[in-house]
Amino acid sequence: MQYILDVTSFILKGSVITFKLYLVTAIFSVPLGALCALGKISRFRILRWFLGLYTWVFRGTPLMFQLFFTYYALPVFNIKLEPFTAAAVTYSINYAAYLTEIFRAGIESIDKGQYEAAKVLGMNYAQTMWRIILPQTIKRVIPPVSNEAISLIKDTALIAAIGMPDLLRAAKEVLVRDFTITPFFIASVLYLIITSFIVLIFRKIEKRYSVHE
Amino acid sequence: MDMIRVVNGYKRFGKDEVLKNINLEVKKGEVVSIIGPSGSGKSTLLRCISRLEKMDDGIIEIEGVKIDNHSEGGILRRLKGNSNKNSSKVGMVFQNFNLFPHKTVLENIIEAPIIVNKMKRDEAVEIAEELLKKVNLFDKKDFYPSKISGGQKQRAAIARALAMKPDIMLLDEPTSALDPELVGEVLNVIKDLAKENLTMVIVTHEMAFAREVSDRVIFMDRGEIIEDAPPEKIFENPDNQRIRAFLSKVM
Repeated sequence: MQYILDVTSFILKGSVITFKLYLVTAIFSVPLGALCALGKISRFRILRWFLGLYTWVFRGTPLMFQLFFTYYALPVFNIKLEPFTAAAVTYSINYAAYLTEIFRAGIESIDKGQYEAAKVLGMNYAQTMWRIILPQTIKRVIPPVSNEAISLIKDTALIAAIGMPDLLRAAKEVLVRDFTITPFFIASVLYLIITSFIVLIFRKIEKRYSVHE
Repeated sequence: MDMIRVVNGYKRFGKDEVLKNINLEVKKGEVVSIIGPSGSGKSTLLRCISRLEKMDDGIIEIEGVKIDNHSEGGILRRLKGNSNKNSSKVGMVFQNFNLFPHKTVLENIIEAPIIVNKMKRDEAVEIAEELLKKVNLFDKKDFYPSKISGGQKQRAAIARALAMKPDIMLLDEPTSALDPELVGEVLNVIKDLAKENLTMVIVTHEMAFAREVSDRVIFMDRGEIIEDAPPEKIFENPDNQRIRAFLSKVM
């Protein structure tokens, strides 16, 4: 029992980076994704083209590869980042690419009649988006965004690839040291607890936005 | 001065000519119904007057002021060119209500007065409650649109349009999406508005209603105005073969 507690606390210490990365990515990728989504439905063709290229590249290549690129390849161009910074930047931009497409699809799924009603009432673009379209979009994008939120906690395990100590790596270290698979069980229980927590939060948000149904 | 004046209106969707040589005047306080087979351009004409669509040729004047033909593109892009001028003059009611589903009936009505006209919330609520009493919907004011019937939704939508104190109301098939037993309550509200001298243009398939409420009835077919006459003339003694054929089918 003492052994399990010791191992758990060791793994939890390793997971601090996991949580940090998770929070930073969440905080930056959501607004970035929302902005890019608005850009993608804007009238500026060059901006739309550029954002199309962005989501194509970042959704079309492995996250681990992007992480390697930021950490190992950018120094060639004299951009040297701390491991955590490199991970935070890569994850934020990568997740924003997925969120861009989710938000764009969400916005485009709102009935044309909503824009028309807003227009005949005299509302301008910003008022229409902010007061009428986006509030309805939030409700619709909650399920896909909660999928991303769960993916993200698992993707954080990839930072071990650039030598950072995360939850999974801590578990692996104990496993190698003690020749027991107990740390893997503990790690999976921790992951499940975290994802359950995320699911719970999103269920709460969804409920809040469903009052009108 | 005419409230609405359309001169030589022309519009096409691709190769489809949906409005041809449209000439129309609506005077203050007049109630004009537009009838005709589906696809005849009735709704498109109404949408051009409300600036949701742009004509390819011709002029539309609202209260003597020519309205801008907005630029090409989807509704989203056109919305960006939406200046607030003119907006309060023309109110519109849609076939599918287009209430804002995330707002209660009351919130739907006070939204534009507060956001567009910068009215104080208390004042907007007062006006909204007055309107809700008028359309007999006061008891549903805190309901979300999903919780009320189609007839109630349309009455809420009418109240929402009236809250902007429009000089002209355009109603695009206001009862076409309703169950038959709910049509009457909406038509009664519109009849009351007609009595108040509100200028209205109504696209409708309710012939008895059009006959009762209208000062003039316009019959459209294949993008053209075939007849523009008092209801008695259209319904009792139409001299055009197409009107007779249409009326014999729908009445």
